[in-house]
Amino acid sequence: MSAAAADLPVTRTAASTAPVAVTRRRRPGSALGSMWWRHVIGVLALVFALFPVWFVLIAAFSKDGTLSSQTLVPESLSTKQYKELVDNYPFWRWFLNSLGISLVTAFFTVLLAAMAAYAFSRLRFRGRRSGLMTLLLIQMFPASLAFVAIYIMVQQLDSTYPALGVGSVIVLVLFYLGGALGSNAWLIKGFFDTIPRDLDESAQIDGATHNQIFWQIILPLAAPVLAIIFLLSFIASQAEFLIASVIMFGEDTSSPKLTVAVGLRGLLAGDRYDLRWGPFAVGAVLASVPVVLLFQFLQRYIVSGITAGAVKG
Amino acid sequence: MADVVLDEVYKIYDNGFEAVSGLSLDVPDGEFLVLVGPSGCGKSTALRMVAGLEDITKGELRIGGNRMNEVPSRDRDIAMVFQSYALYPHMTVRDNISFGLRLRRMAKEEIAKRVHKSSTTLGLSELLERKPGMLSGGQRQRVAMGRAIVRDPQVFLMDEPLSNLDAKLRVQMRSDIQALQQELGVTTIYVTHDQIEAMTMGDRVAVMRKGVLLQVDKPQTLYDDPDNLFVAGFIGSPPMNLVQGEIGEGSGGSLVVRLGEQSLVIDDALVAQRPAIRSYVGRSVAIGIRSEDLTQPGHHHDDAPADRRLRSTALLTEALGSEIVVHFEVPAPPVETDDTRELRADAGAGDAIGALELQGTKFVASFSPRSTVRPGDAIEVAVDTRRLYLFDLETGAAIRA
Repeated sequence: MSAAAADLPVTRTAASTAPVAVTRRRRPGSALGSMWWRHVIGVLALVFALFPVWFVLIAAFSKDGTLSSQTLVPESLSTKQYKELVDNYPFWRWFLNSLGISLVTAFFTVLLAAMAAYAFSRLRFRGRRSGLMTLLLIQMFPASLAFVAIYIMVQQLDSTYPALGVGSVIVLVLFYLGGALGSNAWLIKGFFDTIPRDLDESAQIDGATHNQIFWQIILPLAAPVLAIIFLLSFIASQAEFLIASVIMFGEDTSSPKLTVAVGLRGLLAGDRYDLRWGPFAVGAVLASVPVVLLFQFLQRYIVSGITAGAVKG
Repeated sequence: MADVVLDEVYKIYDNGFEAVSGLSLDVPDGEFLVLVGPSGCGKSTALRMVAGLEDITKGELRIGGNRMNEVPSRDRDIAMVFQSYALYPHMTVRDNISFGLRLRRMAKEEIAKRVHKSSTTLGLSELLERKPGMLSGGQRQRVAMGRAIVRDPQVFLMDEPLSNLDAKLRVQMRSDIQALQQELGVTTIYVTHDQIEAMTMGDRVAVMRKGVLLQVDKPQTLYDDPDNLFVAGFIGSPPMNLVQGEIGEGSGGSLVVRLGEQSLVIDDALVAQRPAIRSYVGRSVAIGIRSEDLTQPGHHHDDAPADRRLRSTALLTEALGSEIVVHFEVPAPPVETDDTRELRADAGAGDAIGALELQGTKFVASFSPRSTVRPGDAIEVAVDTRRLYLFDLETGAAIRA
């Protein structure tokens, strides 16, 4: 977007001046003198964080693909595990299911939360305070409290509206949307509150309606927080297992209706834990690709949002 | 083009606070009216009611003869310049200026033409593709102006548009805005807390205090003939010297003002002009004297006789080049009313008036630059007693007829 382009020079100059400042300050010889232990801590943290990733990557490209034969250093690389995954299970269907569900969920989460936040931030109406408090209160209860209720609801919906019953993607998205709306609305409201009301009023006098103010003034200015909410919501629904497994209760690993999380969990079910470790690892690695790509893409907006806020007079 | 009429307009908040009480103003077509007053006097609220950003609790607002109370801002055909400028940070200057036109679905060529014209007027042509974040304070201010004039509205509303600029730029923008308004001839209501801005810019100035309109008139009339103590003390820089004194009968039938053991003869012409002064004989009143009416004897042609002089000691002198400002003490108690307390608070002085440990009241006189007075010198100050201001201590009203 043009907003990012305009802020790019700022980030670039900051980055290019930084090394100059560092070299000037650092005296020769002292580079490793008093600072070495910080590097040690950094390296240890890195090993700690990257070890699971490495472990799964090795398993994904290994020949044997069992947990018991797993080594820390690969002896050979192969695509055998990938073939086993896609030949025996509808993995790519799961993958597309998850991708679709996550994108739709993230999109509507941002949209609905932003609209709710606009109302709470800009309009004064009866029940505004109590509404905000209620949202906060509901967020205090973990989603797992609702499992039984969700299960029964889905079972009964199944007999009335089969489209909204067991294994329905629509129902899953609806539950995801309801789940995080409160905290997201709070987050976005906090950001909206920092946008001066003068802008609303100025737009109002320029002739804008509430709707136009929301779409043309507030939303573009809130892009950084919207990007963050989109990202968090996408990651959450991509990784979500519990609610999905309740709604898809009864489907086995041959079903193309599952999400990646539920499907891969099926691979490890029962005593097959050790046997299907390899295909599971491949699936996990592939499932992480959309998240990484999305993060890479949205990072620009998040960072540019932060610098824009800092530089603005 | 249109006139703006406020008819007994009230703004009362839910908690009962009256921000604006019975404000009646008649701004004829093309006039530049300045609303001035200390912070919290309701001037901004009044402006926001005209803009449609605040509901009117009671009373009627008419623009061009039509009742506007229930009309939303966008249909009032007004433009407003905010103190913070309120530029849209994510839009270029061009988009900022044309936003209102685009919302009204004006034709592209017409928009381009209008943006070109207004940006040329304001010297913004070079900046059209920049974002507000890349502009200086003065440039942002001009963009805000551009956004207002491009719409070609019936009324301009300006809410302290210059108070975020540094002093030098403010003086320049002051004349720029004035010139622009005269050229366009658009009715303008301008809110400020700076009385100098009010005096220099306004065709007429309305002074407000605590939600009440005190006086509306031409700047010079406000200065020469204030209706009450508050206007007298608020308008003018340095502020009018105010002191408590007693009206008495002097020798030869003329009236005198007693300030402690000193007294001044009130010029007969003034008494003739304001006969009500006679009824105050024997009573204390608030006396106001402008600093330019306090001069050093011997430096002017028409020297005041001895019974029209004050004797004191110079406390402080400030050489300004064109004049020397001399601070001295008058042996009489200062005026202590709600008006003067609020004026002091507005000047930021608080209750620090006792800082100099004065027994009497501090006065400021404007001496000729040729004067050789130094702090500590005994001085005589000639008073132009044709230009004394007298106010009732209870009501604060000017004593006139």
